[in-house]
Amino acid sequence: MIDRCGVSPSPFLSQRSLVKSGTVWNNLGARGLHVTAVQCKNHAARIRVGKGDRGVTYEQALHPHHIGHRKGWLSQHPCNLKGEEGAADRALEDVFIRRFMFGTFHGCLANEVVIKRRGNLLIVCALMLQKLPPQKFYFLTGYTESLLSHFYKCPVKLEIQTLQKQAVYKYL
Amino acid sequence: MAAHTTKICLSLGRINGPGFGQYASLNRATYATALSTSNFTGNKGGPDRGGRGAFVRRPRREPGEPRTEKMDSQQDWSAVYPSAASFRPGSVPLPVRMGYPVKGGVPSEKRGNLELIKIPNFLHLTPAAIKKHCEALKPFCTEWPAGLDSDGDLDKHLPIQIETTDYVSAGPSVRNPAARVVTLRVRLSSLNLDEHAREKMLKLLGDRYCKDTDILTITTDSCPLKQQNTDYAMYLLTVLYHEAWKTEAWESEMTRADRREYIWEDSASQQNVLDTLARMATPVPGEGVGEGVGEGEAPPREVLLARPEVQQYRDSVTRLKNEGESEGATLRYREAVKKLLSL
Repeated sequence: MIDRCGVSPSPFLSQRSLVKSGTVWNNLGARGLHVTAVQCKNHAARIRVGKGDRGVTYEQALHPHHIGHRKGWLSQHPCNLKGEEGAADRALEDVFIRRFMFGTFHGCLANEVVIKRRGNLLIVCALMLQKLPPQKFYFLTGYTESLLSHFYKCPVKLEIQTLQKQAVYKYL
Repeated sequence: MAAHTTKICLSLGRINGPGFGQYASLNRATYATALSTSNFTGNKGGPDRGGRGAFVRRPRREPGEPRTEKMDSQQDWSAVYPSAASFRPGSVPLPVRMGYPVKGGVPSEKRGNLELIKIPNFLHLTPAAIKKHCEALKPFCTEWPAGLDSDGDLDKHLPIQIETTDYVSAGPSVRNPAARVVTLRVRLSSLNLDEHAREKMLKLLGDRYCKDTDILTITTDSCPLKQQNTDYAMYLLTVLYHEAWKTEAWESEMTRADRREYIWEDSASQQNVLDTLARMATPVPGEGVGEGVGEGEAPPREVLLARPEVQQYRDSVTRLKNEGESEGATLRYREAVKKLLSL
């Protein structure tokens, strides 16, 4: 849902701004709040169609309502099943791991990070571009694994695959 | 010899960095002789980083061909996927495609395909691999005990069954509060109980006993640990057994209303039937009537009770009282009464 709101310095008072801001300005330089009609549009995880020069991956091209139909899940664990505990903790871990990977392998991630859990073991699968020499990849892998293991007190394994170019699904 | 090697090293250094030009070698000289380090800023990290000026980056190493090209069709697959791992397109020699196709296209190929990585795969569980697992586990297995061949044997030798559940989940903690629940099952027939003990035991058990299967079920979850709950369940069984065999002083005061089930013998219903039949007093031909009984007198009790319609009435009343009212039971009672009163 989009509300186009503008906050503009206007010399005139609008009725709405009086009601909304609750202050009384009688001078120049008063600011009002202008609100337009609501536009019910979904914007979640969508790249809008453009000129046709932007290559997108399968993950980016398919919208969230395709999850379960044409897309799989990026993170799978049994804590989301009925009667199981710890779903919130796993969700937080996932968010942190994704940001960590994005920052550690900056510019190298070709696609989203896939997180799997097998019992106690945390497996992070990532597709990377060959932007760094292999030695640096090895170092960063070891660094990530040991740091995350210490954070989460469980064994963390990184499974990295490298590509020369990003796999483009279509051009938008 | 040492001098010779150092000389070689220097020359090697020069050859390795043709693109660095004068700058790097100058830097190396400054570094080695510890002169001013003001020129040092451009060259961080060593020979891999290019400096300023005309330089060609060290030629990028070409990625080697994937393992699939070098695979033999008779290879040992469990060496490729020894344990559970995500899909690696360079290790799986299959032309797999996955994904919703673009209009007029085909599903995406396996290289760089995130969908294939997302899903769990069983490439590490081929039949040959499972066989290897079994062979590896065999030394740790023991034989099934000889005397336990059938369910009957199990009931005879191991009558008590204890059921517990263990939970595995994805988090770092192995604790699960639902794992403390313990269920103990035993057949009452395997316990040594006499008439009185069985009655008392059934009264004590109430809901925990199933009449159809003759199984007593005790579920404990009041203690925090599984071991504690199993101990508690065994303790409950022991106490039940011993209490059933004891006869308290107040048990002699048991009345008809305290009985667990309705018994027709010596009940008001039996008395009523006998009275009614005595008043009707029509001796049935073929009945064994004693010689002391005359034409108009009632036959004795035992004779009356042995009549089939009285037996039927007894069955119907017992069923009604014990199992509650239902359409079938009421109908049976009606039939029995009609036969009894010769309606």
